[in-house]
Amino acid sequence: MNHAVQPLLSVRGLCKSFPPSSRGFFRPRGSSFQAVDDVSFTLAAGETLGLVGESGAGKTTLARCLLRVFPPSAGQALFRLPGGRIVDLARISARELKSVRPHVQMVFQDPFGSLNPRMTVREIVGEPLAVHGLARGTERDDRVADSLRRVGLMPEWRSRYPHAFSGGQRQRIAIARALIMRPSLLVLDEATASLDISVQAQVLELLQELKHEFRLTYLFVTHNLDVVQNICNRVAVMRRGRIVELAPTAQIFAAPARAYTRILLSAVPSTDPDVPMNFAVGDELARLDAQDGP
Amino acid sequence: MKPEAPLLEVDGLRVVIGAPGGAAEALRDVSFCIARGETLALVGESGSGKTMTAHAIMRLLPPPARITDGRIVLHSRAEGEIDLTALRDKAPVLRRVRGGLVSMIFQEPMTALSPVHTVGNQVMEAIRVHRDLDRADARRRTLAMLEKVGIPDSARRFDCYPHELSGGLRQRAIIAMALVCRPELLIADEPTAALDLTIQAQILGLIRAFQREIGCSVLLITHDFGIVAHVADRVAVLHLGEVVESGKTREILCRPRHPYTRALLSAQPGRRTRTG
Repeated sequence: MNHAVQPLLSVRGLCKSFPPSSRGFFRPRGSSFQAVDDVSFTLAAGETLGLVGESGAGKTTLARCLLRVFPPSAGQALFRLPGGRIVDLARISARELKSVRPHVQMVFQDPFGSLNPRMTVREIVGEPLAVHGLARGTERDDRVADSLRRVGLMPEWRSRYPHAFSGGQRQRIAIARALIMRPSLLVLDEATASLDISVQAQVLELLQELKHEFRLTYLFVTHNLDVVQNICNRVAVMRRGRIVELAPTAQIFAAPARAYTRILLSAVPSTDPDVPMNFAVGDELARLDAQDGP
Repeated sequence: MKPEAPLLEVDGLRVVIGAPGGAAEALRDVSFCIARGETLALVGESGSGKTMTAHAIMRLLPPPARITDGRIVLHSRAEGEIDLTALRDKAPVLRRVRGGLVSMIFQEPMTALSPVHTVGNQVMEAIRVHRDLDRADARRRTLAMLEKVGIPDSARRFDCYPHELSGGLRQRAIIAMALVCRPELLIADEPTAALDLTIQAQILGLIRAFQREIGCSVLLITHDFGIVAHVADRVAVLHLGEVVESGKTREILCRPRHPYTRALLSAQPGRRTRTG
């Protein structure tokens, strides 16, 4: 199968720097901030890649570069469209971007902030179809109903507003909206971070089902290493804009190659009281910095 | 020798919200106690009543929520036995309890600090309210405390406003504020929920170190059994306003009896231990 040979997404030397803040409040004036620094990785079709790291590591910036929320400063992001044509997400024109967007969709962290409170669920989930002029009238409505059903929501609920739903249900609405375009790549940015653990477990399970049903590929941005261990095939560990380690999930957890990965893992509180938790990560990170330089 | 009374006894606590007739029960017959120097974790999902319990102890329940039944008794070393449920809202002893004998760390490090006062002044206020110290002494103690909670360059940070500090440093400042008067009980309401893993480990380590140093008890509110496993001596599991199970941490984690506890534990992603 061709799918296995060619990656769905191939990122090479991607960089994103932000100009210095004009007021120079936090950073000294004059130096730009390198949020993503020479990042390269590939994403095979059907794979789930976890992108982990602390806040400020550049995870979200990287994800946003891939969705072209803003253009990267340098590098390539070659994305294979369903027809086999390959486009560089880092460089394509605005018009071409619109035709690519249906294939790359995103689910955001905060289901309270990402759904417009003044739109009904029908409008929210059907909006991508409206934007791309794909289906109208009853056809659109049918597709909305179908998408809601797929994520485990009652289609009859589609004339309600987001406030009528719980956090987990809202996240399902966000997933339904992303899925309605039948994307091949779904970028999940901390998609379960704001949910209660039992709800989080349900949403993760849903994502696993949908992945098989729609042959999706996931880029899962998170700081939760437990979630990563549950659902990712491979993990990329980011620190200060760079990928410090990228390996299959089992290998990352059993035999992390890099000191930073080891420190990060030691900070995870395991529910097994016999697995010790490292309370001294601060000192260890400081030592690591002293060795590597900032 | 007679065993020492627990520091805090909560007995049959009932909290209702709303007017009689249309009232909803937020807490139903909640009972637990915390021994001196002990850490009790109160675990449950959102809406289970964890924060409500903490606020009831501090007598901070927002109306129309009110305590209708039960007792909350603090056996303070400094002040003797205080029945918190019996106090009037404006009782002078309540001022000594809040921030003095019992202090609280809130979840949101941004909203727990006032944005228009410097970090140093906010920590110093806690000392000035509860201890009879002049400004210079209070300032010296504040600086020492900021240093102790791991805020580097404390003399400069004293004059910073909260928005100038990172989330981790803000939470450290809040810990400084909560512990500077050496409380007998510290209530920590999801103290690390908004923080990175690495910062979380440091903050939990800091709370633990302080607990050892000043010998206070901790009521830790969390939904993360991983944190519970490494920080708590005992656990009480709250579900829909009721304590469904409580016991030693290891027993609850390894041999949960109540179906709800089992369900919560199995929902914990990446759980590497098996029960039974």
